[in-house]
Amino acid sequence: MYFTMFMLGFLYAVFALFLMAAGMQLMFVGGIVGIMVVVQYYMSEKLILMSTGAKTVTAEQQPALHKMVKLLADRYEMPMPKVAVIDTPIPNAFATGRNPKNALVAVTTGIQQRLNERELQAVIGHELAHVANRDMRVLAIANFLVTVTSFLMTMLFWNMLFGGMGGRRNNNGGGVMMVYLVTMIVYFIGQLLVLALTRYREYGADHTGAEISGDPGALADALEKISGTVANIPDKDLRKLQTASAFLIIPAALKGEGSMNLFSTHPPLQERVKRLRELEQRMRYGLR
Amino acid sequence: MSTVIKTEAKLQSLGEITPSRRAGVIYKNNADNAFQSDIKNELNEVLYLGEGATKTAFEIEDDDRGMRWIVLEDGNFGDLVSSVYTVGNAIGMNDGADNLLAAVFELYFTGTVEDNTYRSGLRTYWIYRYDRKAFYPFVPTGESEGDRDRPTEARLGQDLRKHGLAVEKSLTEWMGLWGIPF
Repeated sequence: MYFTMFMLGFLYAVFALFLMAAGMQLMFVGGIVGIMVVVQYYMSEKLILMSTGAKTVTAEQQPALHKMVKLLADRYEMPMPKVAVIDTPIPNAFATGRNPKNALVAVTTGIQQRLNERELQAVIGHELAHVANRDMRVLAIANFLVTVTSFLMTMLFWNMLFGGMGGRRNNNGGGVMMVYLVTMIVYFIGQLLVLALTRYREYGADHTGAEISGDPGALADALEKISGTVANIPDKDLRKLQTASAFLIIPAALKGEGSMNLFSTHPPLQERVKRLRELEQRMRYGLR
Repeated sequence: MSTVIKTEAKLQSLGEITPSRRAGVIYKNNADNAFQSDIKNELNEVLYLGEGATKTAFEIEDDDRGMRWIVLEDGNFGDLVSSVYTVGNAIGMNDGADNLLAAVFELYFTGTVEDNTYRSGLRTYWIYRYDRKAFYPFVPTGESEGDRDRPTEARLGQDLRKHGLAVEKSLTEWMGLWGIPF
């Protein structure tokens, strides 16, 4: 993982040098995107509550859930995070917050209904592991770099189309083209590295959560139980087919940008379950 | 639909499943049609007269959603499936196959099954959708729409496929039937 982080940093350092050599006003671009990211970083909790419809709940409203989160937070030796619930049958959970003091963990009503206590505890343990490992901060930095590049790409694209607005026409059109191409390549490599990074963070949280609970099988069970495939089984009654034509209902995935979503597509679920099962075996026979 | 006989026999020989005596055919009721207005006599004719006469009993029930159920009862699972087939055919030919929604079989799990994945006494329905020509398991947990045991259904679907049942591949087509009248 550290290699990936190093590669990501290296890529952007070289890229910055390249841009400066090409005469770009890096400070300008970096400044604007920086403000955007800082706003997102510090407001992430409110933004996510708004975008997902999650509602914070008190210990009186959801005593069992609060008790479970409290128990796990104590094991991680972190302060009690805010607890939120999203009213949707889609089973999911996520955590957000730049540090353990500002953490929020949210679960959907769907996941509460479908998992038993042991499995739900494993899921919340996994989410709190993201907070404990400070994954949101790592992701924010990685995303900052990718966002800068995508921003540059858009700017350069319009620059090429209109060839320097307001008569600032110069004669290095080929140069701009070159910068644009390099930016594009950096953008795609950056994306791949960020994906690799989230993958490591996901495995890491699976592992941390399992160590805390001592029960890796619980998360594997939960993941299998509510993996995307099971969620595809519809709520709909067959008799409704007669009145409305049969649309293929693709369950809308919950988007929690800037948070660690339980069902991010990277890494694949099967691989995570496999690793958890292996860990379960090792823990059982004390081969740690 | 014939795959259900083989799968049931296989599971029963493993001591895992017991069919209930009942099954049903559900279809959209077009009351103004001659066949439908005389449905009882028509079904008496196809089930009990001529070759292939059976001992399967039947009842007609209309639900509150404009659908009609033919509920069939027979102690012999093979005969029950064959009667479901006969009734479905008669309705399809007289009333248009588009009106046929599903055939539903009721089966119970008995004892330990597939390394304890199913609890003993678990009641399952195997729904055959005529338009998809395939089965899927249905395990309702309540009366209102959406109340179903999805994880059990998903596992059961895999196991039934393993035992030769034609299982609907697309999970999004596994629509429930809440309030089955048997």
